[in-house]
Amino acid sequence: MNNLEIAQTASTPKVLADSAQGRVFMAGDSYPENPFEFFQPIIDWIDTFLDKNDKPLGFDLELIYLNTSSIRAMMDIFDRLEESHQNGRSVSVLWSYDPDNERVGELAEEFKEDCTFPFTIAPRA
Amino acid sequence: MTMQQCAPEIPLEDRIEAILAAETPPDGWKTALEELFQRCKDQERLLDRLTHIADRFQAAERERSQSYLTRYERKVRQLEKIVRISDQYQTMLHQLKERLEHSSNYDSLTGLPNRRYMTMRLEEAASQAARQSASGFAVMIADIDHFKAVNDNFGHAAGDRLLQSVARALELSLREYDLCARWGGEEFLFLFPSCDEPSAPIVAERLRKNVSAAPQAEDGIKAPTISIGYTLHRPGESVDATLLRADEALYKAKAAGRNFAMGM
Repeated sequence: MNNLEIAQTASTPKVLADSAQGRVFMAGDSYPENPFEFFQPIIDWIDTFLDKNDKPLGFDLELIYLNTSSIRAMMDIFDRLEESHQNGRSVSVLWSYDPDNERVGELAEEFKEDCTFPFTIAPRA
Repeated sequence: MTMQQCAPEIPLEDRIEAILAAETPPDGWKTALEELFQRCKDQERLLDRLTHIADRFQAAERERSQSYLTRYERKVRQLEKIVRISDQYQTMLHQLKERLEHSSNYDSLTGLPNRRYMTMRLEEAASQAARQSASGFAVMIADIDHFKAVNDNFGHAAGDRLLQSVARALELSLREYDLCARWGGEEFLFLFPSCDEPSAPIVAERLRKNVSAAPQAEDGIKAPTISIGYTLHRPGESVDATLLRADEALYKAKAAGRNFAMGM
C-alpha cells in the first residue's frame, strides 16, 4: 500500500500518511478551494488502510484553522475511526496545539465529543 | 325440487338458494354444503395470507421510515455540530483579527497609540478642521531630555522602563478626547482637539510639570524631563506643515536649555 504525502500550502495542511507505521500526520490551516478534491485522497487512503490490514491506525494532528467543509471532512474521518473502533480495531488520535492558542484545544474537544476511541488533546511542549 | 336443481354442473349459488327454498333437504344437499364449506375455508386461508402479507409490508414500511428518521436525526446532529464548531472557529478568527488590529495601532512597549494610528487621526482632524473652522486643534511633540544617556549608562531595559513611566505620566495628563501617541524612539505626539491659542501653552506646561513630578523610575537615574514644541493647526494646511512647525518649536525648546515648552 502506498504512502500519501501532500505538501502544505497557505490554504491546505501538510499531510503524511505512512502505511508501514500506520500513522497519519496533518498539520496547518485548512480552507481548501475544493474541499472534496483535497480530502477525498485522504479518506480513500484511510478506507484502504482500514480495509487491507488490521494494524493499528494513529493520527497525529496539529491542525489550526478549519473552514466549515474541512470540519465536515474531519468529522467524516472520525466517524470512520469510530466505526472501526466499534468493530474492535485499534485506532487513536493525538491532537496537539500551541499553548498560546488555547481555543484550538477547545475546538479539538468538540470533535472528540462523540468519539469513544482514545482521543488525546494536549498543548505542545 | 328436482334433481336438476342440485346437479353439480349448476352454479353453487343457485343450488344453495334452491336448497334453502325447499321444505325438505333435496338430494345433493350434502355435496353442495361440502362445496360451500370448502369454498369458505379457501376464502379464509386467502384472507389470512393477504392479511399476513399486508402486515409484513406495513412493518417493512415502518422500519424503513424509522431508519430514515434515525438517519435524519443523525444528520441533523452532525450539522448542528459542524455549525457549532464552525462558529467557534469564526470567533477565534475574529479575536485574532482584533488582536492584530490592536497591535497594528498600538505601541507594545508603552501601550500608547502608535505613529500609524496617530497619523490617521491627524489626517481626520485636519480634514474636519478644513470643513468647519471652529474645530481647530493643537499638536505637540514632546521629547525626553538626555534619553540617550540613560540608554548608554543604564542599558536599554532601563531606557524602556523610563519610556513606560513617562508614557504613564503623559497619559494621566490627558482629557477624554486628547490623544497621545508614541511617535518614535523617545518622542511623543499629542493631538488636542478644540484647543485654542490661549490654552495651548497652559496644556503644554501641564504636560512638562507632570513628567518632572513623576515618581523616579529607578535608583541612580535622574528624574526625567521633557521638552515640548507646540503649535495650532491652521485650517487648510497639510498635517505635515503643522508637524514641521511643532518640530521647529521643539528644536527651539531644546536649544533654550531643555525641560521647556515652546510654541510657534
